[in-house]
Amino acid sequence: MTTHKSDKFNARTVSEEGKSIVYLTGELDLSVAPDFRLVMEPLVGDSDVDLVINLQELKYIDSTGIGILLSILKARHSMNASFSVEEVPTQIQKLFDMTGIAKFFAPQENSQ
Amino acid sequence: MKADQTVTLNLPATADYVDIVRLNLYGIASKMGFSYEDIEDMKVAVSEACNNSVLYAYGQEGGLVEVLFQVNGEELSITVKDEGVSFALPQQNSSENAPTLHEKELHDVEIGGLGFYLMQALMDDVSVVSESGKGTQVVLTKRLTRSEEKV
Repeated sequence: MTTHKSDKFNARTVSEEGKSIVYLTGELDLSVAPDFRLVMEPLVGDSDVDLVINLQELKYIDSTGIGILLSILKARHSMNASFSVEEVPTQIQKLFDMTGIAKFFAPQENSQ
Repeated sequence: MKADQTVTLNLPATADYVDIVRLNLYGIASKMGFSYEDIEDMKVAVSEACNNSVLYAYGQEGGLVEVLFQVNGEELSITVKDEGVSFALPQQNSSENAPTLHEKELHDVEIGGLGFYLMQALMDDVSVVSESGKGTQVVLTKRLTRSEEKV
């Protein structure tokens, strides 16, 4: 039997000129962490585009998900490439504040 | 709801079942009258406890995680038990060794270790009993506050 992954996690990438936005939906937890890493890998490596993750439809994130965001932050920082999150739901913002990852998402020079 | 009732779940220790624990938690906690925000907090804490069992307890071998929801009047205790190799607890930290990222620069940040911090921050009580060869038991407790309406 194939077990279902957690609540409809999905990552959809929209690429525009000089910018990639990844829209996350559902629950980002341990069970879908490998899928999420796979989606992000090529995007993270492309220093020519601004990378944005949109969290509006994300219902849940655990420390595994926060850990992946941290590793993306580190990778992008070392490449001098931009990375930000947008439309963060209240409950998820609370976790970002508690863990301290929030300060690394502080707006940079070209925030809207 | 009467005092001292227990709901028990036995699940394969794999990541694919952790959401089942969250679903059950939601049902029980909302029945007890916990607020939406408290339930969301508990979901995160309980999932972190389950993640630890899934990730560290059994290595590649399949094992079981037992989750007990104990309803004691105004209090919900969730016990997450495994019988795998116990995992090391982070040091009860001195302030210069804080588990959060608040005082760190990005290049100093290490991934991991946030799960325990979240459990402690989000629940009223957290106890961890870990015995070598006998697995790990995490008990997470949250008390009802009567200020908010039921979900």
